[in-house]
Amino acid sequence: MHKTTGIYFDGISSTPQKIELTLDEQAVGLIFESSDIPVSTWRLAEISFEHTGDSLEIRREANKASFIQVSDADFIAGFIACLRNNGQIGWYYKLLHLGMKAYIGMAVLILGLIVGGYLLVIPWVAEKAVMLIPGSYDTSLGNTFLNQYVSENDIDTAKTDALNAFAQQLQLNNTRPLHFMVVSSGTVNAFALPNGDIIVYSGLIDLMKNYDELAGLIGHEVSHVNNRHSMKMLCRNLSGYIFISAVFSDVNGIMAVIGDNVHNLQSLSYSRQFEREADEQGTALMIQNHINPRGMTDLFSRLQTDETIVVPAFISSHPMTADRIKTIRKMIGQSSYTITNHPKLEELFQELKK
Amino acid sequence: MENEISEPKNFKLGFDGKGGTFFGIIIVNWLLTVITLGFYYPWAKAKQLKFMYGATTLNGDRFAFTGTGKEMFKGYIKALVIFGVIYGVLILSIYFDFLYAGLIFFYFTFLAILPVIIHGSYRYRMSRTSWRGIRFGYRGDRTELFINYFKWFFFTIITLGIYGSWMEMKLRKYLIGNIRLGDIEFRYDGKGLEYFLLGLKGLVLTILTLGIYSFWFYKQLFAYYIDNMSLYKNGKKINFKSTLTAGNIFSLVVVNYLLLIFTLGLGYAWVVTRSMNIIFSNIEMEGDIDLDTINQTEADYNDATGEDMSDFLNIDLIF
Repeated sequence: MHKTTGIYFDGISSTPQKIELTLDEQAVGLIFESSDIPVSTWRLAEISFEHTGDSLEIRREANKASFIQVSDADFIAGFIACLRNNGQIGWYYKLLHLGMKAYIGMAVLILGLIVGGYLLVIPWVAEKAVMLIPGSYDTSLGNTFLNQYVSENDIDTAKTDALNAFAQQLQLNNTRPLHFMVVSSGTVNAFALPNGDIIVYSGLIDLMKNYDELAGLIGHEVSHVNNRHSMKMLCRNLSGYIFISAVFSDVNGIMAVIGDNVHNLQSLSYSRQFEREADEQGTALMIQNHINPRGMTDLFSRLQTDETIVVPAFISSHPMTADRIKTIRKMIGQSSYTITNHPKLEELFQELKK
Repeated sequence: MENEISEPKNFKLGFDGKGGTFFGIIIVNWLLTVITLGFYYPWAKAKQLKFMYGATTLNGDRFAFTGTGKEMFKGYIKALVIFGVIYGVLILSIYFDFLYAGLIFFYFTFLAILPVIIHGSYRYRMSRTSWRGIRFGYRGDRTELFINYFKWFFFTIITLGIYGSWMEMKLRKYLIGNIRLGDIEFRYDGKGLEYFLLGLKGLVLTILTLGIYSFWFYKQLFAYYIDNMSLYKNGKKINFKSTLTAGNIFSLVVVNYLLLIFTLGLGYAWVVTRSMNIIFSNIEMEGDIDLDTINQTEADYNDATGEDMSDFLNIDLIF
């Protein structure tokens, strides 16, 4: 039996009414009265409470407007103990009163779940999603890009024919038709589009000294197309972005910004992973075609040592060129291969160098 | 009844929420939201509002938010469906190559539901807010707001945005003017021209002082919102007055920013509680309405669709 004085608001006016309040644990519940109010009883089963700061507000589900306010700490403790014995303290209240250590534990747990989900689930989902996306989408995406960035006038038709003939000589394991294009420009660059268009700038060809270097470049770019790297990148970036903003934006802006930046860094590492994959498969393609795989490392070394050249996009996205050269050399060292002479490739290569 | 009729000359607003308590609420909400894949969101929001309102006091008595997660969940589902349809039409229009028609529909619908959302949010939020058991209420008329909103919006467009100041003041006047706390009526008296000149002066001086004046500018804006608000009941009145200083604004903006940055966002709970504390302890009330004799006048209202839709659009209630 706990007794105290409290304040009652009747939900009709804002007048505070002083009441004598009794908590009867045995049977009924809260009993209160004042000089103006006859004895009333609120059964424990029908009440809810808010415990804010040092005050307690007790309401009935039926009429939330009227409530009892108590600030007597002993009474509040007794009241909560009584509800606990009655099994009326919900899991939420318990969870909320676990204290700071538990909160920090929970924060760490959630962050762990998020990081785990992000690192393991996102790439997996993206991979599956790519399989569901029809190849025609790669085609239209590539076409859009081509129309926007490559102008018809810049294409060197003679060299383009030569490059296509060059690629024809190679077994490239491609699943979709490939179209090579040579753009007349001093720019040292090359890139592959998801539709199978591979654009090579004449500035890059001019730097090459040997046809096996060109074969290396083709092997690298074709591997991007064969593996649908652009589409995988798109899916990973998009799903990662959706994930990060869904998880953090509910918490607050700063965490969302941090999440976004972490995600950008992570997407850099995706592109590194894809570059490495293209290096390896490109080298394997060279070996398969009996072309000296050192053409690949020669090309990279040339681009790396010539300091007048701005590092082109297809190698700048790291892993650092030196690392990539090392990895390819190691791979070459471990494989057995035969090299044959390719007079036809040599001839076409010379044509491209004109 | 014990009616101690007094003439209270002093009113005191305050906020006594503790950062640690709020941090616990946020973390538990976050955990539950993550493991329920987002479905806990309406309940999380209800818990957060309960904390914020419960920590706000007037003359030592707490405000209460009596809305429930269940009500807001229903609104949340409705809001999801409505936004789903709007986005669905947009996607279909892209698919069938009617992109421009789709975009026009998209923006027009958003514009059209905006006043409806504002109306719904106010009705729900006010009806679920109470002080000493007396419910707040919003008496605005949806059609009236809808028509006015478009009228103001149209003027704003044809004046290249200049009318925006008038629009904001008229909207505020309409929304606040329709708020009740029992039989107490709210009023807002801000004027478009004054507000426009205030903004113009603030903007020019902020640029001239390379941003330093912005603390005084925000101080004046806040004061313009607060000082123009008043309460009325039977010829009696309470005026609000802001005592927030430029130093307070500096503390709110810069200190909060640093707190967030250096805690990687985890200090958010403390940022909110200290901000609310600074803001509420700098609003003074003066007048002769007896807060002990407010009568209950507003009915219950439980459709939370507007509330949830405003969340999707990130609309903050002014009040």
